This record gives sequence, structure tokens and C-alpha cells, in this order.
Amino acid sequence: MTEDAYVRMEDITKTFPGVVANDEVSLSIRKGEIHGLLGENGAGKSTLMKILYGLYTADEGRILLDGEPLEMASPQDAIDAGIGMVHQHFKLIPRLSVSKNIVLGMREPSARFRGDSDGLLSALTSARAVSGLARRFTLGLDEPETEIQSLADDYGFDIDVTSKVWELGVGERQRVEILKALYRDVDLLILDEPTAVLTPGEADRLFETLRELATEGLSIIIITHKLDEVNAVTDRVTILRDGEGVGTVETADVDADALARMMVGRDVLFDVDKEPVATGETVLEASGLRATDDRGIDALAGVDLTIREGEIVGLAGVSGNGQKELAEALVGVRETTAGRITLGGEDLTHASPRTFIDSGVSFVPEDRHVEGCADDLSVMHNAVMKGYGDEAFSDGPWLDYEATAEYAERLVDEFDVRGITDVEEITAGELSGGNLQKLILAREMVREPDLLVANQPTRGVDVGAIEFIRERLVEQREQGTGVLLLSEDLDEIFDLSDRILVIYEGEIVYEATPAETSRRRVGLEMNGGDAGPASRQVAVDGGHGESR
Amino acid sequence: MKLDVELTPREQVPRWMGYGTPVFTILAALAVSAVALLALGVSPLAAYRLMFVQTLTTSFGMTETIAKAVPLIFVGLAVYLPLKAQLWNIGAEGQLFLGAIAGSWIGVNVSLPGYALLPLMFLAGGVAGAVWIAVPAWLRAKLGINEIITTLLFVFIAAEIKNYLVRGPMQAPGANFPQTAQLPVAARLPELPVIGFPAGIVLAIAFVAVIHVVLNYTRLGFEITFIGANDEAAEHAGMSKLKIYTVVLLSGGAIAGIAGVSEIAGVQGRLRAQFAPGYGFTAIPIALLGRNGAVQVMLAACFFAVLFVGGSSIQTLLSVPAAIVDIIQALVILFLITAEFFKQYRIDLSLGERPDPGATGSVEGDL
Amino acid sequence: MAGLLTGLANATVNASTVLILAGLGELISERAGVLNLGVEGIMLVGALSGFVTAFVTGSYWLGFGVAILAGGLISLLHAFLCISLNSDQAVSGIMLTLLGTGLTTYFGNSWSGKSISGFPERTLPLIGDYLVEIPVIGSALFQSTVTDYAALALVPIVWCFLYRTNVGLELVSVGEDPETADTMGVDVFKMRYLAVVLGGMFAGAAGAHLSLAFNEIWSASMTAGRGWIAVALVIFARWRPERILLGAYLFGLFNALQLYSQGIDLTLGAGVPLAGLVNPVLSFVSNPTIMSTYPYIVTLLVLVVTVLRAENRELAQPSALVQSYSRELD
Repeated sequence: MTEDAYVRMEDITKTFPGVVANDEVSLSIRKGEIHGLLGENGAGKSTLMKILYGLYTADEGRILLDGEPLEMASPQDAIDAGIGMVHQHFKLIPRLSVSKNIVLGMREPSARFRGDSDGLLSALTSARAVSGLARRFTLGLDEPETEIQSLADDYGFDIDVTSKVWELGVGERQRVEILKALYRDVDLLILDEPTAVLTPGEADRLFETLRELATEGLSIIIITHKLDEVNAVTDRVTILRDGEGVGTVETADVDADALARMMVGRDVLFDVDKEPVATGETVLEASGLRATDDRGIDALAGVDLTIREGEIVGLAGVSGNGQKELAEALVGVRETTAGRITLGGEDLTHASPRTFIDSGVSFVPEDRHVEGCADDLSVMHNAVMKGYGDEAFSDGPWLDYEATAEYAERLVDEFDVRGITDVEEITAGELSGGNLQKLILAREMVREPDLLVANQPTRGVDVGAIEFIRERLVEQREQGTGVLLLSEDLDEIFDLSDRILVIYEGEIVYEATPAETSRRRVGLEMNGGDAGPASRQVAVDGGHGESR
Repeated sequence: MKLDVELTPREQVPRWMGYGTPVFTILAALAVSAVALLALGVSPLAAYRLMFVQTLTTSFGMTETIAKAVPLIFVGLAVYLPLKAQLWNIGAEGQLFLGAIAGSWIGVNVSLPGYALLPLMFLAGGVAGAVWIAVPAWLRAKLGINEIITTLLFVFIAAEIKNYLVRGPMQAPGANFPQTAQLPVAARLPELPVIGFPAGIVLAIAFVAVIHVVLNYTRLGFEITFIGANDEAAEHAGMSKLKIYTVVLLSGGAIAGIAGVSEIAGVQGRLRAQFAPGYGFTAIPIALLGRNGAVQVMLAACFFAVLFVGGSSIQTLLSVPAAIVDIIQALVILFLITAEFFKQYRIDLSLGERPDPGATGSVEGDL
Repeated sequence: MAGLLTGLANATVNASTVLILAGLGELISERAGVLNLGVEGIMLVGALSGFVTAFVTGSYWLGFGVAILAGGLISLLHAFLCISLNSDQAVSGIMLTLLGTGLTTYFGNSWSGKSISGFPERTLPLIGDYLVEIPVIGSALFQSTVTDYAALALVPIVWCFLYRTNVGLELVSVGEDPETADTMGVDVFKMRYLAVVLGGMFAGAAGAHLSLAFNEIWSASMTAGRGWIAVALVIFARWRPERILLGAYLFGLFNALQLYSQGIDLTLGAGVPLAGLVNPVLSFVSNPTIMSTYPYIVTLLVLVVTVLRAENRELAQPSALVQSYSRELD
């Protein structure tokens, strides 16, 4: 089998400060095959491909192309070696035409200077000085344009290469990205989550195209977390988990269940000091929520959700399926396009963030530096970011900074935020990830909210702080707060939640209690479940213990 | 052998850099300008001594300095306040013109006793300045159009409106000069008793105090500071970017308008076509130098006032063109923005072999 | 009447050359994503250095060359601050204007008031004598100095450069999306430096035109705000070279009308209805001082309308204009 391999990555190891992204991972790709790379967020797929694409250099291990070792220092080297990448966020310039986008950087001189013709001009052109000038100061577009147009036509891309990119839709733009790679004669094409922005119809067309390309000898790697995709188009699939390679299998030999098991690992339930708490009134009720993401694409496709006092609802899902938008919608930061949000009986649909805050909603955002604090301001300022208007601190227009300082000190104390000598001198940006997160949590929790939405609260946080944060979440629940915990860490979800929900492509597709389900089942649902509508039912009786 | 320059982003700005920067930049600017002085055969030490020491030790020098400082403090604040919210009010000069126009008009045409007339003039000037920034402010708040370009364009429009008015509707009757009538005594800012400083300084200091208090002791100040530090987090926290932008920009415009009134009522005595002091642009280095607080803005304004007064005395006494002051101003800005860079990055120079390209790279991000 | 139109045409074309040169330069710089508010200062540097060189050596061509060089050199400062140090582009530009104005006023003191005869007006070879005969615009367009012709010729050249050469393509891409350009192998820093220095050279040339052809003297601040009009012109032209030409003529026309408005009486006769209401408005609108605001007002309108047109929202201006770029990754 190894003789078949066109590209081999052998024992690749890559470490970043504090984390091993790839731990002796091996991958082998045959010529003309479509190979899936499957794994959860943080499994290491992106890093591995960035190494293959020349953006990163591996610490250990090597890459072989057709049996020869390959050294790459930049994406340009990768392109020269015949490796092309279609990014998730397209690298296109809307103002320019398709053909200009494709030839950018190649410096093709115009036809006259290409040295095709005989005679004096050709002789002159071969002189380096002349060709250098020609490549800079002319633009060869007609021949490339014809070539690109015929490439496009060959693959059934319905694109006019003279049209400007801003005129094209998402699916068409992706095809332009693919054309970019094809035009540069790549032999290996890597696609990063290609169907993330496509409609199902467009996704099918993409798969058709990929199959055609593979038949012609192009090797293709698809990075994905969607099991139905793996089934639909790949020949083989390699699974990564926590930086390690779990295995490579023929797609035809496995089913979604088995893949999920490989992705997620065995069931391990931690022991948590969690006392059963009687859940009380409904704190939050959301029905039919729809919203778009920052790019205007639908992110929520009708979400129904209920949270009661004294319960932790864990929302599991792979990043990019609508969690961020849901969290933001539930705290008033993102406008909903349809649906209702009721908080403690009051209708808060379309209300401002301020109203949500005043109604007892607390929010720990995903990106603490961008949304959760002001790096350049002091710990004190950040401690009262939302509460500065409370009676405790303000009297009319005046703000009592002594009171805020005291409050900040109290937060720091209660939540063991380390590294603070003076709450007014130290800035939020100077705190370590874990300590900053503790500060933000303190700010959001000490005010005794009715609803707490926490989005990836332990991401990027050191182990000690993680424990602390989890304990506090449980404590909050004991105090009667309704908690919505969004996390990509299944351990965390299973440890802390009273109920587990799974979000996939903007909808809640599964609900169960930890006791009733398994990580394998949840992992399966997170990645699309079994192909077919049957598995999409909200099943209360998970597949725990069942075998196929 | 090659020289390697390695840039590492700093985690935090060393404290000495934060406070020492204004001093260093001024010294650097003066040092480089010395070259220009030498080029004209003038001893920099003699020139600087005249510029600074002389100006500050004579009572005439002090009075002139205070008189110059008054409008500079106002425009400095007019740029400083929006800057706290990360907005650039490049149009202070234009707002100053509008304030001068409104103030002069009232001063010449409305007859009231001084204690009523002057406040009215200042009020009108403030309103005029705010009106003049209102359109760029709205364009920024609603359409996201960069306020740098719009406020700048409005400066040039304002200059022409001023020119038009003093040659036409507001022209003093009688002689055909492009200027308004002389302001009556009631419309003139008096001098303070005993010290003889222009009374405008009292108003300027009052504004410094008010801004300082607002920014440091009120909820509004908290919001302005937060919006300037991270507008996205601020909006998460319920603060209104629209409200804050409107407040700081309109206030900035009003204060610049007041600067205009104080110049006419305090120094000029009438509005002339040539009135184009350029204070609105000097306000930029003033706001940058004083970015740590309203009091620092005031000190920076005083520094530039000394510079201007000293500049005209070396022009008179040493035949050095007063444009040296523009050069120093520009160099102050130059060194300030260079210093910004050094605050963010640490530079390590080393001679020797190239480091292994695969080893470096501070990379965050998804795995 | 014909005499009036010819005079207007002459004045318009004369006024437009400076704007074309400075505008094209600023366009190139902004197309690569770097705003340069220092045009006014660079123009003055060009004007003074060109004038002094020409005065001392007697050669206008040498003066013109030195001016271009000087413009390029001083804009290198702006390039370094904005591109390598990632400084605020607006502040750096204003600093450059202050510096240019200050330096030229300071060092130009002793040259004030001196005059030269400057570039002579010439007709084009062969066909020139016939072209000049064209009514109204003939003498305006075809009896001009070398710098006037250069400015006209540069419009199609810059157009070709931006849209029909590889370097131009890369320059434009850098101003739209430097990250994408970087990924495609374009040297973002080099392109931006090139654009800013080219812009400075054009501005230097514009200044030289003022002191060597248009006014034929040196005096402090002789640019009289034309640098700022050039910045406005680029916005008005929505970043396209051919519209720079049109815009320069339009702004030049405003300028020309100012000169001629004393001789034009725009008021309606007393018999015309509403004359009493309309006349004051007309005389306000045709007042030369008020007319000087038209370039700015028109630019503001274009700016607003462009942003309002939702369909092309992402194309209102070079997308990466004013944004500094630095590679986060190694």
C-alpha cells in the first residue's frame, strides 16, 4: 500500500507553547483518491494541513512527495511542488475579475513577450532584462483567460471568467478558488471545510466536480467534521483525535457510528460533586429563533430552547454550527430575524443588550479579548464594565471609583484572580488567560444572574483555572441560576450538564441527559448523525450500550 | 555576517516609556531642528535660549504665552475628547472659524452689557462649532464614513465661508477692507486684575477641569473611555456607540468653536480675512502629547504657546523665519508616532548567522 | 462670448494640470491602500527644489527632475512610518504637510520673490499649428508647456499601468486585500512603498509645474491648498484615472469661473418672475469665494452617494485603504 502513496506525511510532530498540536501523525494519500481528514476542533487537522501547505514547518517528521523528501518554507514552495489549498475563507479580491484573481502573482507577460514566436522579438525576449520588464509591465490576460475559461467549461463550472468576483455567489466563488489551484497545475488539492458555506445543492455539485477531478488523477484531501460528507465523497478517511492519528480506514468499510467512536474516544465519565438540584421555574424560553452570522449567511434555522432555574444545560456542537450566534442572540447582542425570546415571563425579543443585562442575564463570551474586556483598561474598569450604572457605584452622573475599586478587589478575592497587585494599575491585557477568564466570570456571576450563558468558558485556560471555573459553574447552579454552557469539550459537557443538547447546522438535533446517552452518541450527532432524517429526531433514549 | 533585526511584540509598555515619551519626543524634535538652525548659521543654543528662557522670564513673554495658550488649550481639548473614543477631529480649525464668525457677529450686532454679551458670544460660538461638526459626526455615526476626510473637507469650506462673510455681509461699513467692524468694548475679553493675563485663561482652565472631571469621575466618562478602548466589548456591555460618538464629536466641535470666539474677543478684536491661525492642526500634536489627561493637554498647549511666541521673537531678533516652529511641530508629531511603535515592539539587533526560520513564529489560532 | 469661452477654457486647462499630476499620484498611493495627506507639503518641496535648481543651473529640465526626486524622497518618510512602523496614516500625512510647509517656508525665505521665465508654451510638432486653430479649446489644450502635455499624457499611462500591467495588478490587489495578495506571492510591502514613492514623485512634479511653468516664481505656501484639493479629487474620481482628468477639469472650471465671475452678471432681469427671490441666491452661488468651496462640497456629495449605493458597498473605495498590514505568522 505504501508504494501507492503519492504524498506521505511521516510522524509529523508540531508543538506550540503549551500544546502539542500534532503528535507523530502519519498520513498517506494515493494518487487520484479523495481522502477525508476527520476530527473534532482541536484535533490537529488544520495544523497538519498547514504544514502540508507550507505555512508551518513541522518540528519533527518528514513529508515525501512521490518518494522524494519535500522541504517547504512557504506556501509558494507548496504551489511549486504541486500542492494547492482552497481555504474556508476565500482569498479573492471582489473588485477584480475572475481571471485577474487567478493570474495574480504569476506575472505572465503578454502574448508578444512570451517567446512563442520566432525571430528578433523572441531573441530579445529571452534576454533576462527584457523578459523581466515584460513580466512586470505587461499583463498577459488573453491566453490565460482562454485557458481558464476552457478549464472552467471542462469541469462544468458555469462561470464567465471575465466577470468580476463581487458579482458571483458563494458557490461560484468557491469554484474560482478551485480554478486557481487547477490553473497552477496542482496534483494535490486540499479543501478546508468546503461545504461550510454551501447549500446542499451546491455541495452535491462540488462533490461531482471533485469526483471528476479525482478520476483524472488529482489527489484530494477534504478537512471536515461532517460524517455525511465523509460518506458521500471520500474513498478513505483518516481520523485525528487530540493531536494523534487514530487510524485510516476505507470509507466503504465503516459507518457513521464507528467513525464517531474513533473521533470521540471511549466513554469516560468523571466523578463530579454534583448534587441533584430541584429545577425551578423556567428562566429562559426561546422558540423558533433564526439569525444570520456576520457574513449574512443563516446561522440559526429555528432553535427552540428552554432553561430552568438550577439547571446546567450543556450545548454541544462543532464550531461553526451556530453556537456563537445562538449565545449572542440569547443575550441580546445579536439581532434575531425570527422567533421569540422570553425571560422570566417577559418578552425580550429584539431588546437591547442593556435590557438583557438589567433583566438578569450574564454572558461569558467566546473571545475574551475582543468581546469580553478592554485590554488597555484596568482590572477595575473591566470589573464594572456592565455594572457601572448600578446604585452601588453611581449616584446621578457621578461614578464612585472608590466603590468600584473595592468591588473589583472583592471579585479578585472571591475568584482567586492572581497577578494583581493593584486593581487600578494592572490592565486586563496583562493577566494570563486563566486569570482573565476568572475575572470575567467573577464579573458575570457575582451579580447573581437569573440566566448565565457561558461560551467556551474554559478554552485556552490553564488546568488549575479550569477546575476552579467548573466548580463555580456548578455552584451557580446550586444558587438557582439557569446556566447555558456551550462547550466543544465533551468531558466538560458530560461532567457538568443536567441536560445535553446538540446543535448542528443551526438547529437543535438531539437532547438527552448524561446518564441516558453516551459520548459516542453525542459525538455522532455533533457531526451530522447517521445520514438520513431518521436519526435527526430528538431522542431521549440515546444509543447507550447499543451496538450495530 | 548580517545584521538581524528582530521585532517582538511587547506584553506591556514599560512604565517609564509611558510617562517619559512626551519629554523624549520634545527633546528629539528640538535636537533635529537644531540642524535647520545651524544651516542658517544660527546657534541653536542661542535660539532656544531666546525661545524658551526669554519668553518665560519676561512679563511680556508670559502674557503673550498665556494669550496664545488659551485657544490652543481649547482646540487641544477639542481634539483630545473625541480621541478618547478613538475618533479624530481633524476639523477643529473649521469649527474654530465658525465659532469666530458667530461670536463676531453677535459681538458687533447685539448691544448688551459685557457680562451678558460675552457669555452670549461664547454660547453662539459653541453652538456654531457643534453645528459645523454635526454633519461629519452624523456621516460617521450612521454611514461609517471616515471622520478624518469629512472634518478636513469642512475646514476648507469654513475658511471660504469666513472669507466670503468678511468681504460681504459682515464687512465693516466704510472702508473696503476684508474685515468686520471692530468689536465694542463690551464684547472684548478683559485682562485679569493684578497679573494682567487675558481672562480667557480662566475659561480655558475651567474647561480643562470640567473635562478632567467628566472623564475621571462620571459615568459618561467611563463610557467614553470604554468605547475608545474596545467598542465591541462596550456594546456587549450595553453602551451605545452612537450616543457616545455623538456626544464627544459635538462637544469637540463646540469647544473648538469657543476657541474661535476667545481668539476674536480676546486677541484679534475683529474678524479678518487673514485670520487663519492653524491652531486646529497644532491641536493634533497637542492632543497626542497630552493623551494621558486633560491636564497634560493643557501643559502641551502651553508648550506650543511658548514655541509660537518664542518663534516670533527669534524671527524678529535673530532673523530666523518663524517657520522653524512648524518644523519643530512636525518633528514632535514624527517622534511621537515613532515612539508609538517602540512602545508596541521591542527591537533586538544582533550580528551573525540567520536564525533557523522554522524555529520562530508566535502562532495563535485554531489547531 | 467666444472670447469669454476661450478665456474660460484656457483658465480651466491651466488650473487643471497641477491637479491632474497631484491627483494621479495620490490615486496610485491610495490604490495601494496608503492614504497620503502630505501632498500639500510634498508639492511645496517639489516647487522649491525645482525652482532653486532651475534658478541656479539655468536648466528647467534639471529642476523638474530634481523636484520629482525630492518629492519621492520625502514621501519615503511617510512610507516608512505607515508601512514599516504601522503608524496612523492620517497623522503621518498631516505631519508631512506641516514638515513640508515648514521646511520650504524656512529655507525658501531667501528665494522668495525671485522669478524665472520658466517653461515656454509650445505647440505640438507638425500638427500643433492646426490643432491650435480649433475654436475655444484649441489654444487651451494645444498651446501649453511641457508639463501640461506631460500631465495629459500621464492619464492614459497611469491607466495602462494600473489595469494592463502585472505590477499594476499587484498594486491594486494590495490595496484591496493585502492578506490575499500576500498569499498569492505578492510582495505587499514593496508594492506599498512603490506606490507611496510614486505618489510623492507625482506630487513633486505637480509642485515643480507650479514654480516652473504656472507661476514661474517661488513664494511660501504657493500651493494654496491645491494639495488638499488633489486629495478631494481622488475621492471625487472614485479612484479611477480617467475620472481624475474629468474631475481636474471640473475643479479647474470652478477655479476659472471664479476669475471670470466679476465679468459675468448672472442676475435675472427685473421682469422675470421670482427675480427678487432668485437673484440673491444666484449672486451668492456665483460669488468667487463661495465657488472655491465647490470642489469640496462636490466631493462630499460623491462620497456620501457612493457609500449609500448599497449594491457596490464593498467597492466604494479600495477596501484596504488606511488599514496597515502586518503578517502575524512567520
